[in-house]
Amino acid sequence: MKLSNRYNRVNILTSIVVLIITGVIYYVVIHFILTEKLDRDLAVEENEINQYVSTFHKLPLPASYLDQQIAYKNIKGISPEREFLYTTYYNPKEQENEPGRSLITVVHVNGKAVEVTITKSRVESEDLVRIILLITVGITLVLLLSLLLINRFVLNRLWRPFYSILNRMKAFEVTRMDNIEHEPTKIDEFNELNKSVNAMAERVRQDYKELKSFTDNASHEMMTPLAVINSKLDSLLQTESFTAQQGALLEDIYHATGRLSRLHQSLLLLAKIENNLISDLQTIELKEMVEAKGRQFQELLGKDGLVLNEKLVPVEIKMSRYLADILLNNLFSNAVRHNVAGGHINITLNKDALTVSNSGKIANLQTKIFDRFSKSVESEGMGLGLAITKQICNLYGFRIEYREINGEHVFAVYFEG
Amino acid sequence: MKILVIEDEQALLESILAYFTGEGNICEHASDFASANEKISLYNYDCILLDLGLPGGEGLELLTKLKQLKKRDGVLIISARHSLDDKLAGLDLGADDYLVKPFHLSELKARVSAIIRRKNFDGDNVIVFNEITVDVSAMKVSVKGNPVNLTKKEFDLLVYFLSNRNKVVTKNAMAEHLWGDEMDLSDDFDFIYTHVKNLRKKILEAGAADYLRSVYGIGYKFGDI
Repeated sequence: MKLSNRYNRVNILTSIVVLIITGVIYYVVIHFILTEKLDRDLAVEENEINQYVSTFHKLPLPASYLDQQIAYKNIKGISPEREFLYTTYYNPKEQENEPGRSLITVVHVNGKAVEVTITKSRVESEDLVRIILLITVGITLVLLLSLLLINRFVLNRLWRPFYSILNRMKAFEVTRMDNIEHEPTKIDEFNELNKSVNAMAERVRQDYKELKSFTDNASHEMMTPLAVINSKLDSLLQTESFTAQQGALLEDIYHATGRLSRLHQSLLLLAKIENNLISDLQTIELKEMVEAKGRQFQELLGKDGLVLNEKLVPVEIKMSRYLADILLNNLFSNAVRHNVAGGHINITLNKDALTVSNSGKIANLQTKIFDRFSKSVESEGMGLGLAITKQICNLYGFRIEYREINGEHVFAVYFEG
Repeated sequence: MKILVIEDEQALLESILAYFTGEGNICEHASDFASANEKISLYNYDCILLDLGLPGGEGLELLTKLKQLKKRDGVLIISARHSLDDKLAGLDLGADDYLVKPFHLSELKARVSAIIRRKNFDGDNVIVFNEITVDVSAMKVSVKGNPVNLTKKEFDLLVYFLSNRNKVVTKNAMAEHLWGDEMDLSDDFDFIYTHVKNLRKKILEAGAADYLRSVYGIGYKFGDI
């Protein structure tokens, strides 16, 4: 839920509840005040009648009162309590029944108790209450409407810098050295956000730079001695005065240095992929690449009499060409290395997945095969190829799966997570 | 050929110099930025081997300097940095090739020879070795004037041997040259043997002498008998 929606909801709900409660209180209080006033008027009338009676010793004529009706009734027996009550009465002037307020009291005229009922119209006060109620409801509606409009237009404009900063953050790439630009705004919070985001981007870039230089330095420092060993071996070989036994020793040293340099390169590559230091993202025609890779592996396939079956459709994916090459290399070498003589490799490419399956020894491998340095006993590899493959898949949000179906080893790379 | 090797690692420098010296090659060397800068300003070279991390300065600056001096020296960068950015930066600044450490001296020689051939013969890119003539740009080989039909791999192999004539070239180096070092090849390079065997057979059948011999099972040597 968007912040503004959430805020709107709370705001409007609270406004409605508060306005309803206010309306009710308003109604009750005004009603009470108006009734009080009516009652006071009735009491004044009663007073007048009393004075009239004490002066003239007779009851005033009911018709001499304009705004109210007065009725007399002789009481026999117990005289009633003095009380105010709501009534309906017939208004001869308007010729209709109207709501009214009555005061029933007892007046003693010449020792005789007479019940006097004074009734006053309530129409005006009712009207007043109704108008007040209408105004209250009207204000409520206008208020709600204006709240909605404010939220819709003003809030949206207020939040615009926020969304613009957000979009810039989404588009931020650590490898590109551009800053997250400052969105001009007068709002302190957004200015602060912008400042913090830029500071963070700066820190990230600094870390990235340090990491990159560390990787470079580590590579440099370790590769240089390796390069020396390699070149010295090459030079030694040129002196050509070895026995066959010495030659075999030399070959072993060659193998060891070769492995060491490949191991080192693989580890550096893993670190680079993990830290997202490889950035040449581009659209790749995977079909062409797989076909080219098949040709490249021709000799290796021929050596063990392996048959390569390809079922490919054109597929474009976005990734680094360098890493795509390594991914295919690793899948191919894996399929070749763990195959049996005269076996086969099937490669299927469709828009969902790249599947490489190969015949091989039944191995009952576990999911550990993607771990670093995990390899079978007879494997000649370093146990890094699949770890690198997995890491490349992780980097681009691909999902790699391994299954063993009827003695076939199947690796499938799904392009959509 | 006149070659300048700019490399601060003394042991590596010696090996390179030893491998390149001879056969009419003149090799000079520089071990730091200042002396390298002085040498490239004063002299012309057919090819400069340039290490990027130098004491006293960044190797890429020397490339900029060469460009300013409008020199046509070929440049091969040898760097321990396996970084795409560096590679692209180097090639952008006018380097001809980029080789990552560690490398085989035979690979280095093959690449330097290729650069020099491209620079010196401007399209007319031909290697002549006794009765064997290789037209690298047209990908044609002839022995005593008779054309020889070679596959792409055999042709590449022959050019590689000719660039490293009279040197022992390991099977490892040959495999990496032909298939690339990213391929994660197994340590068993026997499949090289088929290509070498076929190449040798075709050259012999065309009437050339047998220049190729196996050395201790590690590699091969192509050269004067």
